[in-house]
Amino acid sequence: MDVAFLVFLSSGLFLGWSLGANDAANVLGTAVGSRMVRFPTAVIICAVFVLLGAVVSGGGASAGLGELGAISALGGAFTVALAAALTVYGMTVAGLPVSTTQAIVGAILGWNLFSGTATDLSALTKIMVTWVASPVLGAVFAWMLYRLVRVTIHLAKPHLLTLDQLLRAGFIAAGIVGAYSLGANNIANVVGVFVPAAHLGTTTLGPLLLSGEQRLFAMGGMAIAVGTLFSRSVMMTVGRSLMTLNPVGGLVVVVAQSMVLFLFSSASLQTLLHGVGVHVPLVPVSSSQAVVGAVVGVALARGLKGLRQIQWTVLRNIAVGWVLTPTIAAFISYVALYVVQNVFEQQVVAAVAR
Amino acid sequence: MAEIKGSPLRRTRFLQAQIDEFLDVVSQAVLAYEAGVADYLQHGWSDAVEEKSVQIRECENRGDRLRSDIGTALYTEMLLPDTVGDVLSLLGALDHLLDVIKTNIIMLRVERPAFGPGLHGGTREMLRAACETVEQTVLASRSYFRDPATARDHHHKIHFYEDEAEHAGLRVMEAIYAADLPLAEKRQLREQIMRIDRLADLADDAGDALAIYAVKRTI
Repeated sequence: MDVAFLVFLSSGLFLGWSLGANDAANVLGTAVGSRMVRFPTAVIICAVFVLLGAVVSGGGASAGLGELGAISALGGAFTVALAAALTVYGMTVAGLPVSTTQAIVGAILGWNLFSGTATDLSALTKIMVTWVASPVLGAVFAWMLYRLVRVTIHLAKPHLLTLDQLLRAGFIAAGIVGAYSLGANNIANVVGVFVPAAHLGTTTLGPLLLSGEQRLFAMGGMAIAVGTLFSRSVMMTVGRSLMTLNPVGGLVVVVAQSMVLFLFSSASLQTLLHGVGVHVPLVPVSSSQAVVGAVVGVALARGLKGLRQIQWTVLRNIAVGWVLTPTIAAFISYVALYVVQNVFEQQVVAAVAR
Repeated sequence: MAEIKGSPLRRTRFLQAQIDEFLDVVSQAVLAYEAGVADYLQHGWSDAVEEKSVQIRECENRGDRLRSDIGTALYTEMLLPDTVGDVLSLLGALDHLLDVIKTNIIMLRVERPAFGPGLHGGTREMLRAACETVEQTVLASRSYFRDPATARDHHHKIHFYEDEAEHAGLRVMEAIYAADLPLAEKRQLREQIMRIDRLADLADDAGDALAIYAVKRTI
């Protein structure tokens, strides 16, 4: 692996760092914010299991994203990842909710437009359907879980202190699954665009054999892991902008979000569901929007008093983001590709062999 | 108090036991107070009443130590981050009840008021209602830790007994001022009755706060 490759990969690693800084909060933010789990514990869990999820299970969602557009040159991959990172950064600074997944999809579409590559409309449709499905499923899972947990607590009547311990253990377990699912699902956003152009060979790490793709995922996973170190301020506020949650509600949100991410990343679960006639695409989905859906699900489970607590303007802004984010990312990607190709004279589209 | 060592589960169980013991102590103190005052009405300040007085002081000391230990453990172990304020406020209100019970029995020992036979029945009735108010508050507190919905159910009973204590107290004070006694003695007796009534008022206030805490816990 040469230095030039690492320079090209830097935009993806920057995207990974920002994903870690923002999206790790979706996994254990409610636990840290409610002081059920200490921040250092949350960081260790997120970092270790995000990396594991990325290396072990990152291939599925990455392949799904690759169907949208296979970026054939490292310069192109660098520019696309940079465009997505700039979109995420710009919208974050503007205080608008932003999804890394939508940003990278928009940036890939920008590359397709620039390179004259036809966009696979079925792949695009599949991805856009999951943008709606992800928060809806988050809401459904959270609604069911919340009612189940409430009935269980009502029947079992645990002591307040016992409930406190059970919730802490639950947060740790859910955080592990959530971090693994985040790594498995969102590594595609971080380094997925580099897969067609990277051509890394296999390597051994002790008894483990890592493919070229897994090496790429490991680097992206490490960038996400480093990003979690900077997630404290986001962890303290996640979910509060939409609705105040108690620890039980917070745990249900984390579990529901983990279930959504796992559903769209697990190849074995996909095979199992395919066997019963349910077709789930393996594509990256927004963990932030799964959390939003889960919070709404908890509110619905509480009935009218829960619905009254929701900040509906936040939901409206999220819906606006669905349109703005990919559009802005596509535009920035197109312009950046032009600049990188014509000003910096870097190859952004590989020549087609005749 | 030494730091609770061991697994989180062991620490949790130890703390649960301490909270249960604290509630037991409050209950024992109010039962000892009722028995002590009832005995005083019958026989004046006797050895039996002195024994109850000592028991109440021991309960108050034990309650102080338990409350301090529980508070320290909750903060050092960072337990119940959502409800630690409510729990400590509740324990504080119950500890205040212990202080008032101790003060009442001490003032009874110091002042040795003379309750005439005509006042015994009304005073016992008022005493019973005031102590029952405290008992219901303790029951509601136990429910708060396991079944907050039931804690709200106890709330109306606390109000009922506090009301009973207030009306019974009013009747006794009217009887005191209707009796042929020196004014100083009337005032002394009235203050004793008001001290018993204060117990019911404080228990009622604790019950009101507990009702809010229980609503906050309900999911």
